[in-house]
Amino acid sequence: MGNIYHDKKLQWLAYAVFFAAIGIVPLFVGDAFLLNQLATYGIYAMLALSISLCWGFGGILNLGQGISFGLGAYGMAMTMQMQTQTDSNPIPPFMLNNSLEHLPWFWEPFSSTAGGLIFAVAVPTFFCAVFGSIMFRARVSGVFFTIMTLAMLSAFYTIILDQQAYTGGANGLTPPASLQIGSFEIDPYSATAYWIVFALLCVATVLAKLLTQSSFGLVTQAIRDDAERVRFLGYNVAGYETAIYTISGMIAAIAGCCWVMLVQYVSPAQLDVSLSLSMVIWAAIGGRNSLLWAMIGAFLIQGGQSYLGDQFLSTWLLLLGGFFIVVVRFLPNGLASLAEAGLGWLSARLPSKSGRAIESVTAEEGA
Amino acid sequence: MDFTRRKLLKTTLAASAAFSAPHLWLPASKEAWGATVKKGEPIKVGLLFSLTGALAVPEEDSTLVLQYAFDEINKNGGINGVPVEPVIVDAKSDFNVYTEKAKELIIRDKVIALFGCYTSASRKAILPTVMQRNHLLYYPTCYEGAECTQNAICTGPLANQHSKDLIPFMVKNFGKKVFFVGSNYVWPKESNKNAKIWLEEAGGELLGEEYVPLGSSEFGPVFNKIRDTQPDFIFSTVVGASDIAFHKQFKQEGFKVDKMPIASLTTGEIETRAMGPEFGAGHFLSAPYFQSLDNPTNHKFVEGFLSSKYGKNGVTHYNMEETYLSAYVFKYGFEKAVAAVGVENVTPRIIRDHSGGVRVEDNVSPEGLVWIDEDNFNTWLKPKIGQCQGDGTFKVLKASEGQVQPLPFSIYPDSGTCTKDGLKAPDGKIRTNVI
Amino acid sequence: MDLGTLANALILGVSIASIWLVAALGLTVIYGTAGVINMAHGELIMLGAYSTYMLQVYLGVPYLICIPASFVIVALVGLLLERGLIRYLYNRPLDTLLATCGVSLVLMQSVRLIFGSDPKYISVPEIFSSNIALGSVSISTFRVIILAVTALLVFGLWFLFYKTRFGVQVRAVMQNKEMAASFGINAGRVYMLTFSLGAGLAGVAGSLFGVLAIVLPTMGASYVVQSFLMVVVGGGSLAGSVAASAATGEMQSVLASFTNATLARFIIFVLIVVFLRFRPQGLFAQGGVRR
Repeated sequence: MGNIYHDKKLQWLAYAVFFAAIGIVPLFVGDAFLLNQLATYGIYAMLALSISLCWGFGGILNLGQGISFGLGAYGMAMTMQMQTQTDSNPIPPFMLNNSLEHLPWFWEPFSSTAGGLIFAVAVPTFFCAVFGSIMFRARVSGVFFTIMTLAMLSAFYTIILDQQAYTGGANGLTPPASLQIGSFEIDPYSATAYWIVFALLCVATVLAKLLTQSSFGLVTQAIRDDAERVRFLGYNVAGYETAIYTISGMIAAIAGCCWVMLVQYVSPAQLDVSLSLSMVIWAAIGGRNSLLWAMIGAFLIQGGQSYLGDQFLSTWLLLLGGFFIVVVRFLPNGLASLAEAGLGWLSARLPSKSGRAIESVTAEEGA
Repeated sequence: MDFTRRKLLKTTLAASAAFSAPHLWLPASKEAWGATVKKGEPIKVGLLFSLTGALAVPEEDSTLVLQYAFDEINKNGGINGVPVEPVIVDAKSDFNVYTEKAKELIIRDKVIALFGCYTSASRKAILPTVMQRNHLLYYPTCYEGAECTQNAICTGPLANQHSKDLIPFMVKNFGKKVFFVGSNYVWPKESNKNAKIWLEEAGGELLGEEYVPLGSSEFGPVFNKIRDTQPDFIFSTVVGASDIAFHKQFKQEGFKVDKMPIASLTTGEIETRAMGPEFGAGHFLSAPYFQSLDNPTNHKFVEGFLSSKYGKNGVTHYNMEETYLSAYVFKYGFEKAVAAVGVENVTPRIIRDHSGGVRVEDNVSPEGLVWIDEDNFNTWLKPKIGQCQGDGTFKVLKASEGQVQPLPFSIYPDSGTCTKDGLKAPDGKIRTNVI
Repeated sequence: MDLGTLANALILGVSIASIWLVAALGLTVIYGTAGVINMAHGELIMLGAYSTYMLQVYLGVPYLICIPASFVIVALVGLLLERGLIRYLYNRPLDTLLATCGVSLVLMQSVRLIFGSDPKYISVPEIFSSNIALGSVSISTFRVIILAVTALLVFGLWFLFYKTRFGVQVRAVMQNKEMAASFGINAGRVYMLTFSLGAGLAGVAGSLFGVLAIVLPTMGASYVVQSFLMVVVGGGSLAGSVAASAATGEMQSVLASFTNATLARFIIFVLIVVFLRFRPQGLFAQGGVRR
């Protein structure tokens, strides 16, 4: 009968196993570097998740996810920077060097930790909502929207680089101390930091998964497949598109905050085209139609990049490039399609438990 | 179902055990991270440069020259008899990779010092990590200053040293009117602030100041402005590939090098070779080192390096030489630290604290005697002015009379002065790790 | 700002426009015909520069001959690419984007392994290193060369697409592939040749840019986004790309004269977004089945 890959219950089980596996990592890993590195991969996974949600389930290919990620990261860096400023040193050193005498108005909200954290997520989310609604209402879609996000990303990159007095320019922001929540300092190399990232990733994934299975998610998937038909059925297509684009942007903004918590650094490099492109590549290699596989894609590619790179210094890019080409050429839905085929083969040989297979909603929806 | 529940129970138990395990919750004591040298093992140092990507051109040379320097040190008995072992990583010209690799070297490989970076942006990217671990970074090239950390030593010229002689020299020889062109980031802007001070002292006049985006190769609008204002010379802080495009288009736009030369802080042997010597010939550079410096130590360095297995790129330049010096600054600082506290107690921070006043004599230093400032841990050195010749080498025209003092906060007197323990504000308060 | 300055800025704008256009021409042909999003376009430009360098250094070919030779070499690379990879992906446009990303990594790294990552240098006849001055107006000779080559290419493409039998076939395939195929046009062959043509055009751009700036394995990356914007703003047609490049080139030049180059870039990016908001199909949209 059906392929157990599409079985909803088993999908949730797969998610549970995945999160259990990465959740117990700190129990076994004493190496602070590895823990910190794995937490960073968790952030990459969050970004791949956001791309998969937007692209795989909403049909919106976003090459400008770096905007949300970067703005979130800048917000967090501003918050952490302001934590280190005291009454006698009210403004960050780089501003003094650019002859600013007062804190710029848009830095003010970041003076308080709570306000800063809220703004760090709210600003990029708000940007996505506005940009998305303007574009989608004008029925900009497909490759044109992709190019628009690319142009917007380049615009942000350029202006952040140029406005050195307010943003730190190419050097970016380097808050000199770790994040303080109340009196508690979050050491980026501790299991605490790891678990914060883990918990946020977990929550984001569960919500995203629920979303894709809700009626909202079904409509966005229908829009992905044929926006015109959905429009004729009376749905507000632009509204749905804006919503899923904004949610995806918010996840990326949260990822940006976590990033700065872990590395204490943000620069225009976070808004570089190549990073946004990487996010799309993680999701594509893993399988954009599957939240779980998109995340696995991020782990695999970044892990490969870190570890292959050290062993084959001169050929790592060659290997990665070749890998992309092979996957795209032969596995259009990424590694997920391997899993789908494998489980399909398996379920064909298992005695069919018809009850389960019927529950699966659509054949298109992945794990 | 039963199985799942039991499994769930187990996981929960394991998790709660973890939550109660104190070592996982409390931030680990930072001193515990301080690397030390173990008996019978080589001294491990990290080389954090890009071997691939846009920054690989200068940074690969840095890696090669450090390997050469440590080979040389090891051949002469190492440091206190212990050989140095460089751990080489590739930062791939990606600032995010710099932070990752810095962590890897410090925490996993437990190196005792890092040598790395060519750009301020990558230095700023790794400094929080270095400071958080109370580690030590040797930053071996020029930078803008305005930093006072307790975890870095710089062997290149600061903005206040770099153009101090160049601007008066150009004003005297070519005329008062100057146009500033730079890449759009921090170092050129800070360098130009210093240059303006020297310009005012020399009685010069600034006609315009332009910044082009990093990596841009379109200098048409800039040259239009230069043509409009007709300066006597151009002062350039354009870097990297842009710098090469800048010099090429200077000639293609019909400017004449004898009428309006470019006085640069960056265009060294490696750049003139890449652009083709005819585009570089006649222009000026201020740097502490040129391959053509005529002294026995430099002859030995150039011959030794180019004939070694690391000399495959066939050139030495200021950035390489500054990097080479950093290896010896490390050696001498390490030896002083060992003499003071014993080899088993040496940590990166202790090496740094004992590096103040370390001298690299002119029988070791190809550019001549330099020493590390005891307050701000930058280098006292002699900037020199060279003019590019038709074959891409430089003819040294002038050397500074004495070593120039590095002053990271010279243009920000309100911020205070950099001391060994931190930035001392005018009101006497000391702040550590100002970056 | 006096009149001479403005005149200089406007003339420079034409030159900047020609640089942007010559970078975008190949992409226009490839995207306009087959809808392929070729992220390796920048690396094809880079290959053009390296082929010029190789011809010059190893075979001593004069620079002006190197330009058409680079066209041929990179067109052959494009041909291989199309036959080996792209042709399997025509009905999956977003996948071509990903696959060509992989291609760009492979090309960049292969060149780096072969030639090293240090910059290479293309020498040109001495006459190109001068400028032409008419009163207060001045422009460098090499910019005039670029402009001439671009004009020649645009004319050539126009002739090819609108005056030849092949051009009729290409336009037929663009409008409706199935219909064209049913009339006996070999769509696969048309795609193959246009892809190869587009790659060759990138090669020409590369041999020009190598002189203006620098020959490096990473040099292509900076041209890709900008070229894409030109093509999309233009709507994928030849006339569209010409108009888009002309407008943005002039704006870049004039805005950079009034403010600075970085701000000029920012303003252009924002204007492009605003423009596409109101005219997502671009300046001159093609009649075609693409929605």
